[in-house]
Amino acid sequence: MDKRSSVFFLGAAAIIALAGFTAEASAQDKVIRIGGLFPMSGPGAYFGAQDKQGIELAIDQLNKTGVNGYKFEVRFEDSACSPLPATQAAKRLLDQYKPHVVIGEECSDATLAVMPLMAQAKVPLLNAGSSSIKVTDPGNPWTFRIMPNEVMQGVDIATNAYKRLNARKAALLYENTNAGIGNAKVFAETFKNLGGEILAEIGFGRDVNDFTAIATRVAGLGKVDVIPTYTLEGQGLRITQALAQASVTKGGGGQAIQLGTIWLPFGFEQKAGKAALGYVRIVQFDPTDKRGVVQDFVGTFTAKYNQAPTHINAHAFDQILVIADAVRRGATDSQSIRDLMATTKGFAGVTGSVEFDKSNQNIKMDTIHYMETLPDLSWKALGWN
Amino acid sequence: MRLALLLAAAAAIAAVPVFFEDSYWRANLTICAINVMLAIGLDFILGYAGQLNLGHSAFYGIGAYASTLLIMKLDTPFWMAFALAMALSGVAGMALSIFAVRLRGHYLAIASLGFAVIVHQVLLNWISVTQGPLGIYAIKPPPAIALPGLPVIAFSNPANMFYLVAGFALLFYLLLDQLARSPIGETLTAIREDEVSAASLGINCAAWKVFAFGVGAAVAGAAGAFYASFVGTLVPDAFIITESFTILAMVILGGMGTLIGPVLGAIVLTILPELLRGFGDLRLVLYGFALMLAVLFMPGGMAQAARLARALCGRVLRAQVPG
Amino acid sequence: MSTVILQQGINGIVFGSLYVLVALGLTLIYGVLVQINFAHADVVTLGAFAAYFFTFVFGGNYLVSIGVALVVGAALGWLVNAAIFAPLRERGSELLPLIATIGASILLQNAMLIWFGPIPYAFDSPYSNAVLRLWGGTYITWQNLIIIGVSTLTIAMLYAFMKLTYMGKALRAVAQDRETAGLMGIDPNKLIMLTFVIASALAGMGGAMLGPILVLTPFAGTTVIVKAFAIVIIGGFGNVEGTIIAGLLVGLIESYTTQLVNPGLTDIVVFTLLLAMLALRPTGLIAEKREENV
Repeated sequence: MDKRSSVFFLGAAAIIALAGFTAEASAQDKVIRIGGLFPMSGPGAYFGAQDKQGIELAIDQLNKTGVNGYKFEVRFEDSACSPLPATQAAKRLLDQYKPHVVIGEECSDATLAVMPLMAQAKVPLLNAGSSSIKVTDPGNPWTFRIMPNEVMQGVDIATNAYKRLNARKAALLYENTNAGIGNAKVFAETFKNLGGEILAEIGFGRDVNDFTAIATRVAGLGKVDVIPTYTLEGQGLRITQALAQASVTKGGGGQAIQLGTIWLPFGFEQKAGKAALGYVRIVQFDPTDKRGVVQDFVGTFTAKYNQAPTHINAHAFDQILVIADAVRRGATDSQSIRDLMATTKGFAGVTGSVEFDKSNQNIKMDTIHYMETLPDLSWKALGWN
Repeated sequence: MRLALLLAAAAAIAAVPVFFEDSYWRANLTICAINVMLAIGLDFILGYAGQLNLGHSAFYGIGAYASTLLIMKLDTPFWMAFALAMALSGVAGMALSIFAVRLRGHYLAIASLGFAVIVHQVLLNWISVTQGPLGIYAIKPPPAIALPGLPVIAFSNPANMFYLVAGFALLFYLLLDQLARSPIGETLTAIREDEVSAASLGINCAAWKVFAFGVGAAVAGAAGAFYASFVGTLVPDAFIITESFTILAMVILGGMGTLIGPVLGAIVLTILPELLRGFGDLRLVLYGFALMLAVLFMPGGMAQAARLARALCGRVLRAQVPG
Repeated sequence: MSTVILQQGINGIVFGSLYVLVALGLTLIYGVLVQINFAHADVVTLGAFAAYFFTFVFGGNYLVSIGVALVVGAALGWLVNAAIFAPLRERGSELLPLIATIGASILLQNAMLIWFGPIPYAFDSPYSNAVLRLWGGTYITWQNLIIIGVSTLTIAMLYAFMKLTYMGKALRAVAQDRETAGLMGIDPNKLIMLTFVIASALAGMGGAMLGPILVLTPFAGTTVIVKAFAIVIIGGFGNVEGTIIAGLLVGLIESYTTQLVNPGLTDIVVFTLLLAMLALRPTGLIAEKREENV
């Protein structure tokens, strides 16, 4: 072995040794251990980075005084938005950290993959970001979701499009993911049942960049009233701009209205610019909301991170508060957190209120606000819910 | 000597679950065994027959989806679905080898890459059959084995699942090892070293390439069938082309053209990212860096490094014995 | 309908020219070195980020930022060659550099994830949303016009360099036959370095122009690179003219597949074409003798 290789081997050995000794200090008394399963690497890191901010802010605040004598502690594992890494991360958490409750994942397929593990370990899983109906249907006693699922969102948007916007012809744009396909399908079914017509259903992978071609196709469909769009922020921006350039939407002098989901963060309009004019979308977190909890959250978040909070930050913050609410009502371990979370009543979080049905799905629709983008790119609350 | 090694390997497989008791580490062990199958299968194509295959993830995916769909849609018994999945992956490998007959080097590399992209996209877009990105859930583990007079062996138990997958990995290792040591192995390496002179010796190069691809791909198909029944959830993104690169890295880092090398490579590259979890955000940066350094400083892979180390030890020992 | 068909042609040519810029770099490297560079994708991404930071953080002009990205790309090309390809060259393996560049790519992507974060950047140039209306209801944004213009100009300059200058002739010579370059009295190491610098400069520029079109994250370049590989093959590895034609062709195939079938199927169409091409005409669109590979 020459000199270079020995240096490399020593380096590798040092790396492995270091990794072995990074185990965290053991938990103190009276602590609620929260496991965080979020994508921290790969394209899904988009979610994890924001979840982490919201969670850490909430825990900082709660630990100033504690709740019922308990403090909160969190450990994150990278679940990579994908089933195998998610089950691995979940097993690692359950084996090594022994959490009382776990929050996450964002991607539906990862959440669905870890649900059986949580049920088996009898540790409650609190989810916000996965919209697949399967997460709470037929229902798993150990899985809770605070976000409206794809059926609740899709039916509501389609009904409002037909009844309030008088839309009759729609073109659907969606990412080829569990969430994208699921949401688009519910919209299409509801809209057709009401008497509307779906002119095109255009699905695309998250790696698609060329939205001018998609906009051209929509422009070629003739008169379109609404364009429900199911994508994340990045592709969403490009689609909105491309549709305006093709003069399809109001932002580009056309007459079609783009309909958006709660996936888009606050500030989307400013990034998209003039093209976003007339965009009608649902938001779950409205930083302009005058309620005290919301204004406190916006203030403390901005102070801590020097940036405005997004809906993902807000979701994550609310998840911790829902757990804290159960602890306030006497929860001390996994079983009692599960039982008391199930009876959550009148919880008012920054994204809205929370109350679970028998399948542990949040049934409160006040978490959905309809907003229209005005010419100065500010929001007009439509007050439809 | 070989029998001793075989016994040692069997003993190691039997012992590891005892040392790693938590389900996280036992799951890692099973993933190691799955990756070992993938790596030795690819090594048979790449290291022995010399065919630059960048599409191994395709055979892995075909095996996983074929076995799962046969079980869930057609009620095929697990082991029959397993065999059919292996056969189907093998046939896919033979189909791809048609390109290997005509192309070499980087042309074959990109052709196989293209094949893997197509397979992934078909799994993604053929929603009526594969569920596409919606995914398949609640896939059952292999059926429990109930032998008369013995306790039932259930594969929902992580240790049993590991024994099953590792047992198969060992079986495939022995089969490939046997093939590599037989005249067939010599024929394949002759094609790898120089196709023209191999042909002049009367070797039917095309037929042997088809054979190597078929065998390597069938082993990947078996790995896929185990993957599905182990994870319980199937989405097409588990078989994106970067998975091919990971398998390739296992083979290269371990030392291609030897079978033991890829086994070591698979184990190290499965465990290393897990050990690096403590580094948080830096984890994959370090992983990429390690991969780069390994190629630069250890181009023959771990198998070669081990030989060098042995030679070095030998020299040191001899030096210590006076006279 | 004819408007739509025409418009998709324009859309296809815009994306095609970007693919050409990225694929040309791969082809040049392959022509001289017979090696594949997976880190090329990350040079594209870093070029896009360089242009973004130059424009938005340092308040520079977008058009100048294309030049900045070119320099950043060139520097990265030098680094990739010096760190990976040069040390591995003596070993003469086709596989080792490939794996090393995969490692480099993983390293760079995750380093960018730490530096720039995972949230997509809204990189709009002043020309992104300025629309030029053309005949018959078709249109093109000024950004896309810049893309076509700059790409054409760059390709023309590259062409002139290859055909007219002594260095360029030596490059072509070494691509065809290693020993000739030695006979021309030019150090092959210098030529290889030059090739990497030029190839990566093209990728960096491509990144600066792609930035305002695609979703700018640390993974942006990878979405383009796999298609660039297909283009390089369809055009015939190491063949510049073939790469240009193939790049435009793939751009057009994508926009027409989006129009007539579904954007989700574009990859299947492009890669099926690739396999068909390899089965029927493995030397690429434009035949060139490369006996050792076919």
